Amino acid sequence: MTKDPPPLADQRDTERVYQPAEDTQLLAETAVIHVESSDRVLDVGTGSGFIASHVADETGASVLGSDLNPHACRQARAAGIPVVRADQLTPFRDGAFDVVVFNPPYLPTDPDKEWDDWMEAALSGGQDGREVIEPFLADLRRVLASDGDAFVLVSSVTGVDAVRDIARSNGLTTMEAADESHPYERLVVLHLRPAGSG
Amino acid sequence: MQEELMDILCCPVDKHELELEVDDREDDEILTGRLVCTECGEAYPIEDGIPNLLPPDMRDEAPA
Repeated sequence: MTKDPPPLADQRDTERVYQPAEDTQLLAETAVIHVESSDRVLDVGTGSGFIASHVADETGASVLGSDLNPHACRQARAAGIPVVRADQLTPFRDGAFDVVVFNPPYLPTDPDKEWDDWMEAALSGGQDGREVIEPFLADLRRVLASDGDAFVLVSSVTGVDAVRDIARSNGLTTMEAADESHPYERLVVLHLRPAGSG
Repeated sequence: MQEELMDILCCPVDKHELELEVDDREDDEILTGRLVCTECGEAYPIEDGIPNLLPPDMRDEAPA
């Protein structure tokens, strides 16, 4: 006999949409320091819409959310965020954004143990933890304004230096904008800019 | 979606401009319609105010 989930959990869709955690908080707080009210901002993988809402509320900037997960798209829209269902950065024009924010799925996952649902898609970065962030970094410079900024959350379990190397090879400068230590990982917010933008 | 989003969206496949076709609008928000690529002709649906700009080959292959 199956038991129906409680109505509230169903409404919030907590089983299919990643809910705000320490990483979300750190990225949201770091992004608002740098975002200006005139900026056009994209929150990639917006999930519950927490970061997008926080940035919009705190800075007055115009913030768009995107997600692969249709349940996340609906949840973010219900939170008042304009949202687009998208794969990575593919449907956005060149130079469209002053700021791009991304809290990617980053946990390294054994391919035999992947569980193939929306929560896995929100958490798993594939075998090395970098399968989602790599194509993102390859396309990031294209959608950023020439003096644009991106803020990306990376964990020590994903390999901060490896991610910085990939960013550099895609024409981006990188520096650590914030970090926070937890028992099993160090969370880092990388500030990425198009190289040569000064 | 708001019409001003048209300024930053493009076809995910060939990056050409999209044309907006509206079926249902509430105030200045487009609830139902589609975005059609001016180059390849692919139509991307807008449902419940959310444009689905996944490339056509990704639209169906997704977890439940």
